[in-house]
Amino acid sequence: MDIAIKMSGISMRFPGVLANDNIDFNVRRAEVHALVGENGAGKSTLMNILYGLYIPTAGEIEIWGQKKVFHSVPDAMRAGIGMVHQHFMLIPHLTIADNIVLGEEPCKGNRYLRAEAVKQIEAVCNKYDMHIDPTALVSSVSLGVRQRVEIVKALYRKAEIIILDEPTAVLTPQEIDDLGRVLQKLKAMGKTIIIITHKMQEVMNFSDRITVLRRGRIVGTVSTDETNADEVTQMMVGRSVHLGGDRKAVSIGNAVLRVENLHYHDGRVQKIKDVSFDVYEGEVFGIAGIDNSGQKEISEVITGIIKADKGQIIFDGKNITDWQTEKIRHAGIGFIPQDRQKSGLALGMSVRENMILGYQNLPEYKERGFLLNQEAITKNIDNKIEQYDIRLSSPEAVTRTLSGGNQQKVVVAREIGHATRLILADQPSRGVDIGAIELIHKALIDARNEGKAVLLISLELDEVMLLSDRIGVLHSGKLMGILDAKEATREQIGLMMAGGGVEHAY
Amino acid sequence: MRIKIRGISLANIMTPFVIIAAAMLITSALIMTTGANPLNAYYHLLTGVFSNIIDTINRTVPIAFTAFAVALGIKVGLFNIGLESQFLMGSLASAAAGAYITGLPSAMHVPLCLIVGMLSGMLYALPVTAMFVGKGANLLVLQLLFNSIGTLICTYFIAGPFAGENPAVAAMPRIQATAQQPNLINGPNKLSISILFVILVAFAIWFYLNKTTGGYQLRAVGDNADAARCAGINVKKYHFWVLLAGGGLAGFAGALDVTGNFYRMYGNYSPGYGFDGIPIAMLANGNPLGMVIGAIVFGALRVGSVNMQAKAGVSVEIVKVIQGVLIMLISAQHFVRFLVGKYIKNSERSGKA
Repeated sequence: MDIAIKMSGISMRFPGVLANDNIDFNVRRAEVHALVGENGAGKSTLMNILYGLYIPTAGEIEIWGQKKVFHSVPDAMRAGIGMVHQHFMLIPHLTIADNIVLGEEPCKGNRYLRAEAVKQIEAVCNKYDMHIDPTALVSSVSLGVRQRVEIVKALYRKAEIIILDEPTAVLTPQEIDDLGRVLQKLKAMGKTIIIITHKMQEVMNFSDRITVLRRGRIVGTVSTDETNADEVTQMMVGRSVHLGGDRKAVSIGNAVLRVENLHYHDGRVQKIKDVSFDVYEGEVFGIAGIDNSGQKEISEVITGIIKADKGQIIFDGKNITDWQTEKIRHAGIGFIPQDRQKSGLALGMSVRENMILGYQNLPEYKERGFLLNQEAITKNIDNKIEQYDIRLSSPEAVTRTLSGGNQQKVVVAREIGHATRLILADQPSRGVDIGAIELIHKALIDARNEGKAVLLISLELDEVMLLSDRIGVLHSGKLMGILDAKEATREQIGLMMAGGGVEHAY
Repeated sequence: MRIKIRGISLANIMTPFVIIAAAMLITSALIMTTGANPLNAYYHLLTGVFSNIIDTINRTVPIAFTAFAVALGIKVGLFNIGLESQFLMGSLASAAAGAYITGLPSAMHVPLCLIVGMLSGMLYALPVTAMFVGKGANLLVLQLLFNSIGTLICTYFIAGPFAGENPAVAAMPRIQATAQQPNLINGPNKLSISILFVILVAFAIWFYLNKTTGGYQLRAVGDNADAARCAGINVKKYHFWVLLAGGGLAGFAGALDVTGNFYRMYGNYSPGYGFDGIPIAMLANGNPLGMVIGAIVFGALRVGSVNMQAKAGVSVEIVKVIQGVLIMLISAQHFVRFLVGKYIKNSERSGKA
């Protein structure tokens, strides 16, 4: 049979939302099929239905031509479907072999045959040309290896169809290349692969066919050979998109921020190791690195939320290392934190009130020294709703009711609007749709064009390369080097992200 | 189209009433199991209230104050259950100041008693607050322990150093005439000026929370302490002062009750005022006007239940059952709100058809 999966007429209704609307989705045997769409387009819902996590409101699923009804994940597994989640489902303190066989251990009576498990796993690895050490602890291996463990786990369970959810979110560029090779090998061995992603580069590099979802509906399925990234993006968004803002030639001015020999530890973990860099007027200084390399700590030390063990932060010539957060913000540093819901917004309060959070003590928002100046606060939001295209029912709307993208726009509008000198943007486009990313990029670049300094931290290497003038690369708390963005290559940065050296520091 | 009244959806307004009605229904079932007629019981409850409105108002005062204290805690993200002992400490200290300080004019003695009550409530809240804010000790456990300690300290003083003229009764001496509040209504059922303080403080809290930068910061801390910290707000400072203010409000309520109502402190002084504030603050969602109304309802329940016991033979304890059921339903209020919202939607739909 040529068709591995045939999903027809799938609809999924959640209270108030039609997440999937009459979707027909076919995957051929031994192909890599990319399922793309913006956040909330319904791709995860569709895959969760295929994996037995949701029972669809309507529609049918056929696997290898046989009609199937999945009531649970084991049902789907029995039909040969395996899934690798974005957040790996592994137990760090067990070995790789223990994790892989968990729940399906080779047994003799009640006894777990660990040696047998290792042997079986080595057989699977050899067959698919993947190299992992089954006796290593999961906690001791990199995220790239953990992902491979998840893939082997699916293969061990005899999966013929493997779903990968945002597989590259936590990988370095080299690990992404490795993943590509693994996928090609699996394909050659007759496995069928679905990848859920929103990164165009991987869609184009990895896939044979692409299915695009928008607002719960299928926009279309195309062959990767016959299309290009722009066309797919246009299908996703419904219009053409221009990322990266409009850069103007700006002369680099004075150093706004100087970070000197910064050290910070949390418990026994050294999170920042002797980091130094400068950010100048009219430039975007990007910091690349895989997740948890010390980015969060650097941004929190600069904004005074946590205090460094050693080192200095110099802002406009003043030593602000020991300043309180509020004083630092009032001095002109805007901070877009990496997690808007956890650190950026009071979700139960109105959008109008959130629009001054962190700046409520500025004289312009105060009256007689202790009262809120309601008029000024209303004026503040009225300007920004229009400028940042924030979609809301009214300024008094509870912030929780906004979509993720609009919530992020509230944070971005607030911070860029109040930052007179420096914008510290920690993953400003995390988890928002491409339309919002376009707007956020433009806002950051516009600020740079006006002569403000921008310190951009992002896990998306493409974003760092697109927006930055100079790029610093972090690897487990150490700044491996600083590169000129015009000359830097993905490979070079990727090597440094993984801890490799740099030939010529900038 | 959802019906909204000044930005608040109808479901939100209806929910407290539905909760109260449901509590009455469940309690009715309990009353029936005792063989009494719930309608008859409720009738005598109501007539008890209306024949004694002044007493209801007197009862409202301490309940409203503890509700204010709980509400401030909720707004800053803390659950304050330490008010019972802080209320008692305020009563004890102001009763002592009222009884043992002599020779002051009334215009000085009454305010002195009130301030002493307020400060001792704050003072008693201080160790728990310092341990919680400074070292992150468990607030609920500390407050529960300090409630027991405070109650026993009061018992000790009333029976020992501060014992009154009649050794057979656990009561302190009557406060001086100069320490007694002036009355709005004189007579056997007197109405002191305490209720004016309730209105004043309710307005002050509303004003502080909604109109001042400090109130804004307090609400931000309560909504998301992490985001408040990122915004440069001193979270610990707000936790500290809200808990201390809670002690002050509870202590002040005790002082009002002593100087305006009973004129002395006696054993088992509080019938649980410190806990009455919790369901009211939650039911009113921290809205000061709602809390005043809630406090009146709770005060009325306490007053009316005495009449109900006498005339309908239903124990006054049934009021505690109503309160217990209320707390249970409030804990499930999102579910109730969901049901109410669904009902409204359905009736709108059938209204259109």
